[in-house]
Amino acid sequence: MVGFFGAIGKATARWLAQVGAVARFAFEAVASLQTLPGAGRRVATQVLLNQLRFTALEAVGLIVLLSGVLSYLTISATVAQLDKVGASELIGRLMIVVIVRTLGPLLTAIAIVGRSGTAITAELATNTVLGEVRALEGMGIDPFHYLVLPRLFGCVVSVCTLIVLFDVISVFGGYLAAAFIAGMSASRYLGIVLASLTTQDVVLTVFKGLVFGLIIGVVPSYAGLSVRRGPTEIPQAVIRGTVNSIVLIFVVAALIVGALQ
Amino acid sequence: MTAPLLVYSDVPLGRVRRTTMGGLPNTVSEAQGTFSLEVSAHSTVAVTGDEASGVDLLGGLAMGLERCPGGQVRTLGADVAALERRAQLAFRRKLGYLPAGDGLLQNLTLRENIRLPLRFGSDFRPRDIEGRVDVIVAQLRLVRVADQRPAQASAEDRRRAALGRALAFDPELVVLEEPFDGLTDRAAGELLEAARGGETAEGARRTVFLTGADLPALLRTRVDRHLRMVRGRPEEVR
Repeated sequence: MVGFFGAIGKATARWLAQVGAVARFAFEAVASLQTLPGAGRRVATQVLLNQLRFTALEAVGLIVLLSGVLSYLTISATVAQLDKVGASELIGRLMIVVIVRTLGPLLTAIAIVGRSGTAITAELATNTVLGEVRALEGMGIDPFHYLVLPRLFGCVVSVCTLIVLFDVISVFGGYLAAAFIAGMSASRYLGIVLASLTTQDVVLTVFKGLVFGLIIGVVPSYAGLSVRRGPTEIPQAVIRGTVNSIVLIFVVAALIVGALQ
Repeated sequence: MTAPLLVYSDVPLGRVRRTTMGGLPNTVSEAQGTFSLEVSAHSTVAVTGDEASGVDLLGGLAMGLERCPGGQVRTLGADVAALERRAQLAFRRKLGYLPAGDGLLQNLTLRENIRLPLRFGSDFRPRDIEGRVDVIVAQLRLVRVADQRPAQASAEDRRRAALGRALAFDPELVVLEEPFDGLTDRAAGELLEAARGGETAEGARRTVFLTGADLPALLRTRVDRHLRMVRGRPEEVR
């Protein structure tokens, strides 16, 4: 029995130590912004633009597909039932609570972890293994400035933007479902949805975008730069970065819901 | 007699550990005792030995990439590893460093790799930076391959580009780790001459400190001092 609790204690201590290390890494990354030299800012901005192209622009198709299909499925599955009991007005609340407020940010974040989080970990782990990170340090370039900050800001901006896109497309997808299945008019649908949308929903969506973007920028970067044993550790680092990002995103989502109760 | 630009004093190589971001663990060094060496200005000094001798740590110690657990390493008069991080990064821009395995960024072309330290660490105008990069590219005979990425270039061209990057700021002291591994004697000779930067009345224009497993036969006469690590201690090779 003691061994059982001891094992749980050890695992918890290990997990907490890792969370602490990631938090410290995030703090150091953000703090390094103060020391970014003027000339370095121009180079870092170029890396940031590349990151935005990869993380936001190239993910638009995926986000449109996910949000369109999800909202169509959700609304088509519920609108007919709600109509039967005369509660079709609830479709707006359902849209906002389930998709805009909860699933939109979560699915967007997971999609970005799958696309960009994995790429960030693999890229930075390769940089580390090939001695590129060490070479940067040797040249007097802070890896936080050149590698981490652009990815961090790129992820924050991309996730915020894509969550808004996800929500807009899902409202449109919901309309298609409501129109085809329940014959609802566009003006009535939009009226119901917009009446259900509060300022808090908008603020919360953007806040989640910021936090999830921060997680996707930091956790995979940390996993990539923590590789120490060589090339064979790269796949493990990708798994670590991906799983930890997803777990952290779910935990934070739950904490936000809990804080708002 | 000019003051030494690089001084190792009683460094216990067997206990050195990497501390910088992105540092993979060192090969376990079996070096016993301590290591001391002075590299005078305008000289070319080579230290060779197998990995277990701790020779692969010397470049990192000079650049402050490794922390010295005892003794002292002074580069251009400063203990680089002990500097505050911002000062440390700025200080390294005064030095030229070619790490083992070249460390070129794979997503940049050879030209972009050479340009990177200048763009990131200087306030030179873009036109001046391009001018400097053009000179280095021509000097190291990289014109034909400058727009290739490292993976497309030959090992020799990659090494030339890595040296070009190390020379971007025209440093007084150049630290080269395993610079000639896998190169022909002719290519190695050319790289060494480029690193030395020509001759002055006092010797080479730049001070060159290089480490590696061995020194090509052709270059043994071109270095001012060649030391081989024997049981963790440097011994002069005649």
